[in-house]
Amino acid sequence: MLVILLVFTFMGMSQLSAVSSDKLDDAAEEAIEQVDNQQSVDLEELRRRIEVLAEEIESLRSGEVQQIQLSEEDIRSLGLAPSAASAYMRDAGISFAGYGEMIYKNYSEANQSGNIKGTKFDFLRNVLYVGYRFNDKFIFNSEIEVEHAKEIFLEFAYIDYLANENLGFRGGLLLVPVGLVNEFHEPTVFFGADRPVTEQRIIPTTWRENGAGVYGSVNNVAYRAYIVNGFNGSKFSSAGFRGGRQKGAKAKAGNMAFAGRVDVTPMPGVLVGASLYSGGSGQGDIKNNSRDFNVQTSIFDLHGQVQIRGFDLRGLYARSSISDALELNQSLGLTGANGVAETMHGGYVQVSYNLLSQIRSFGLSLAPYIRYEKVDTQATMPVGFTRSLSTNATFRTLGVELKPIQNIVLKVDYTWVSNQAQSGINQFSINMGYAF
Amino acid sequence: MRRNDKLLGGFITLAMVTCLLSASVAIEAQSGLITRDEALAAIFPEANIESKRVFLTASQIDRAENLAGEELPSALIARYVARRGGEIVGRAYIDTHIVRTKRESLLISLDVNGHVRRIDVTAFLEPLEYKASELWLQQYNRRPLGDDLALQRAIRPIAGATLTALATNTAIRRVLALDQVLEQDK
Repeated sequence: MLVILLVFTFMGMSQLSAVSSDKLDDAAEEAIEQVDNQQSVDLEELRRRIEVLAEEIESLRSGEVQQIQLSEEDIRSLGLAPSAASAYMRDAGISFAGYGEMIYKNYSEANQSGNIKGTKFDFLRNVLYVGYRFNDKFIFNSEIEVEHAKEIFLEFAYIDYLANENLGFRGGLLLVPVGLVNEFHEPTVFFGADRPVTEQRIIPTTWRENGAGVYGSVNNVAYRAYIVNGFNGSKFSSAGFRGGRQKGAKAKAGNMAFAGRVDVTPMPGVLVGASLYSGGSGQGDIKNNSRDFNVQTSIFDLHGQVQIRGFDLRGLYARSSISDALELNQSLGLTGANGVAETMHGGYVQVSYNLLSQIRSFGLSLAPYIRYEKVDTQATMPVGFTRSLSTNATFRTLGVELKPIQNIVLKVDYTWVSNQAQSGINQFSINMGYAF
Repeated sequence: MRRNDKLLGGFITLAMVTCLLSASVAIEAQSGLITRDEALAAIFPEANIESKRVFLTASQIDRAENLAGEELPSALIARYVARRGGEIVGRAYIDTHIVRTKRESLLISLDVNGHVRRIDVTAFLEPLEYKASELWLQQYNRRPLGDDLALQRAIRPIAGATLTALATNTAIRRVLALDQVLEQDK
């Protein structure tokens, strides 16, 4: 009886246990399902958040989205004046860049007449660009140069207002938009240890004056048109306009000038254009019998550049004229062959070929170049003045340019110089330049 | 000033004024650059654009770098797939890079075969004078990835903006390689 009771009890407990176990399993499954569901929701939410963050990071990295705009209360809470707080409101506005070049010039022992000129090793320039983007419309840009390792110049400093993609307004110390080199004068951009002589004597690079104007481009046409202070004509010489630059330093502005250019790019790699500068250079200093002379000075140039399949062909022709040249010379006390000319002209043709352009060179380039140039800074003289035989010169340059990367250049060349005065001095030059 | 010089000076001034007038007539009302959405809508009209952020694997980065011959600066890629009637009609990628010291972002759109269809500049923080023109960017249209896709070869440089041209060419090589890798791994 006891046995039977025990058996029934055991069976009852087993059933109870089975029921209880089933319930437990159900509860556990339910719990697991709930956890799974929750995990799935969490995972989905995690995925969503990663996607949101990735989108945000990618968008910020792209530079397309400007950063947080702060209210006046926010600015006040920073304890800063509005201008000082600007760094908090925009994509970092300050930009730095620069370039420089060092040149070694070894002149022939003697010129055509036997005169000797020394050898020079000069750290020609080290330049720092500093810019600041105030907002999408206003930008400041400047170039501060240490020349010959000891002289400091401001090469340009201006504020741009970007009206739209095609038109901008610019004011400040401006690079005069004439020729091929003046605006693009970094050593990695032009061939030759030295800049072309035409773009030193007739277009006096680096030429900058105070002024204002417009710039921009429409389709394949780029333009710039400025009003700047004119040259200081009392510093002109028989060798050209170089001394007449006022460089923005307490510039005499009695005479203003127009400077402008138009460049057309009919197809990629091809550029043709023209520039014009015209304005008075008297600045109230050129007087004769109490009459004030304007010394109207004009420079125009035609230029072109073709870059196709490793070839680089460039050419420029510049011509200048000065009115009142006679009175200018008289006022400056210049006589004979030392006078400033009525007209000057010069030009060059230059060809180079990057030998490594058609192979995988990982940015390395090796380009021999040749330049033929003629310059005459006394093409026509005022009545009573004579031409110096030395101011009409020919320059033949043969060289090679090595760029280990596109930002660094080493240029080695030899220039044969000849003129009718037999005073040309040949020159061997090495230039190391950089831009970043 | 001599008479000939006056005439020539006058002619050049006239030419410049004409160009300026033409420019002012052609000036568009828009300011700033095109946005991604505007560019995508223009390239793939009436298409459904799927936006994706792709996290590249180490293997994908290696393969893309080998194909492009250029480094991939990030494993996070913005990719767009355009579908019309359920069929893929093109893909697009954003490539952000440094030109000189500032950033540029390009939206590089490809056709279904992975050739360049159009390039849009969506951000350019360098001075605008250094920005590549539309005409210059059109050199890349319908070009596949290959050795000839290089400056001074099939691609002509930009006078005065060498660094922009280099950065753009590198970006396009990267995107074409990346597209090949992602299409292989589909």
